[in-house]
Amino acid sequence: MKILNEPVDMIAIFYKESGKIKPFKFRYKDTSVRVEKISKIYEEKLAGNKRIVFVCIHNGKDIYELKYEVDTCRWFLFKK
Amino acid sequence: MQKKKNAKTIMHIDVNSAFLSWQAAYNKQIGVETDLREISSVIGGDKRKRRGIVLAKSIPAKRAGIKTGESLMEAKMKCKDLVIVPPNYNLYIKSSKALISLLKEYSPYIEVFSIDECFLDYTGMEEHFGNPVDAAYMIKDRVYKELGFTVNIGISTNKLLAKQASELEKPDKVNTLYPDEIPKKLWPLPVEELFMVGSRTKPKLNKIGIYTIGDLANSDFNLIYQKLKSHGKLIYQYAWGIDDSPVHYTNYIPFKSIGNGSTIPFNVEDRETAHKILLSLSETTAKRLRAANMQCNVIGIKIKYSDFFSISHQRKLLNSVNTTRGIYETARELFDEIWNGKPIRKFSMRLSELTSCNITQMTIFDKKDEIKIKKLDKAIDYIRERYGNRSIVRATFLHSGLEPMLGGFGAEDYPVMTSIL
Repeated sequence: MKILNEPVDMIAIFYKESGKIKPFKFRYKDTSVRVEKISKIYEEKLAGNKRIVFVCIHNGKDIYELKYEVDTCRWFLFKK
Repeated sequence: MQKKKNAKTIMHIDVNSAFLSWQAAYNKQIGVETDLREISSVIGGDKRKRRGIVLAKSIPAKRAGIKTGESLMEAKMKCKDLVIVPPNYNLYIKSSKALISLLKEYSPYIEVFSIDECFLDYTGMEEHFGNPVDAAYMIKDRVYKELGFTVNIGISTNKLLAKQASELEKPDKVNTLYPDEIPKKLWPLPVEELFMVGSRTKPKLNKIGIYTIGDLANSDFNLIYQKLKSHGKLIYQYAWGIDDSPVHYTNYIPFKSIGNGSTIPFNVEDRETAHKILLSLSETTAKRLRAANMQCNVIGIKIKYSDFFSISHQRKLLNSVNTTRGIYETARELFDEIWNGKPIRKFSMRLSELTSCNITQMTIFDKKDEIKIKKLDKAIDYIRERYGNRSIVRATFLHSGLEPMLGGFGAEDYPVMTSIL
């Protein structure tokens, strides 16, 4: 796993009932990736900066992390 | 660790090398692998804009002999591979707010003492979170886990002792300093470690043979009082750990004056530019004054020439003002009276003798349009509050290359340093 912290274009679902967020599909270096499975969701607020972290699984084995920064409304591909 | 009945429990929470820790915590979040706290690093201003002083330093940098407040050039000479990080005040404010909201889970009575320090009144909370020392460890560990930086916590029965306690041992520690621990823990320290004893008082005390806090506490009160007057009385009480100031948990900030200043990226050599800079300082300073619902009676300015020689001048007004225009006009007059034509590198402005806006003494010399101008200021403040400082600026700053609102770092809600407990 490598730390990237690169902003990505994202399509996400914001559920109307629970207010929860689910990343659906994102574009990284001209390839679009569908989020297949989310294994863990948690919130971090290091230095007071809130980010929602999604630990995702690709192809059933590769783990990567997506982060949603609440204050700036941006998505980051954090680790791949 | 015995405690008298009805005694209060006060905690003092202090962020270890605050600006640097916050930057390090943020770096951790965005995936920078080197930890600033473990290498020689400092937070410092922008050298190209000549605001190059050390604002905070890491512990390895401290070992290299770097001091807060010295210039970046000097620091670089002491340590060749020093990492210099520019300040990011928005991040500091965010971190400080996150810390306070975490602390509010433990007690509603919190006094924000400065951007990186606060007092927490823990009295009566033992039932919920256990004895103060355990609670302090819990808070300290949670802050590190959730917010990513370390804090020092001092525990005692009043604000003074709590503050002294948090400074006993650093970093990432919980210390107690109850009144019965004063002779053991507080008295052996050098006298300048005591709150309110600074570089000016220390030589005076050393001259009469007082080198430690214990010397001060056990000396003759009349002698101290004679030498230092009311300040002597205060520090004598502090040496005994006596302080009964309450925890001001509302957003009460006592201040005696408001000031802003800025070092200009180039040397100012003409009167017109100097006046514009004074105007932009007036804008920010007057805005803060109005936000506090105050007005001032004394206006002072200070200029520093390019050879670091500085000069100041102040004037008491006939009637109190808080309009940008009123303040600027006086500041301009003061400037014209003292400037000798040499190039200037720094401007600052200070408004003092503050009074509340609720009662205003009118004079027959009041300006004709005073009420109109006040309304205008109010409208401008409102627009800036809502849409940002740059949403409305004076036309004189267009294409001038000057900042329309100078000074301050957006942390006006927090006094960075204060001497009032």
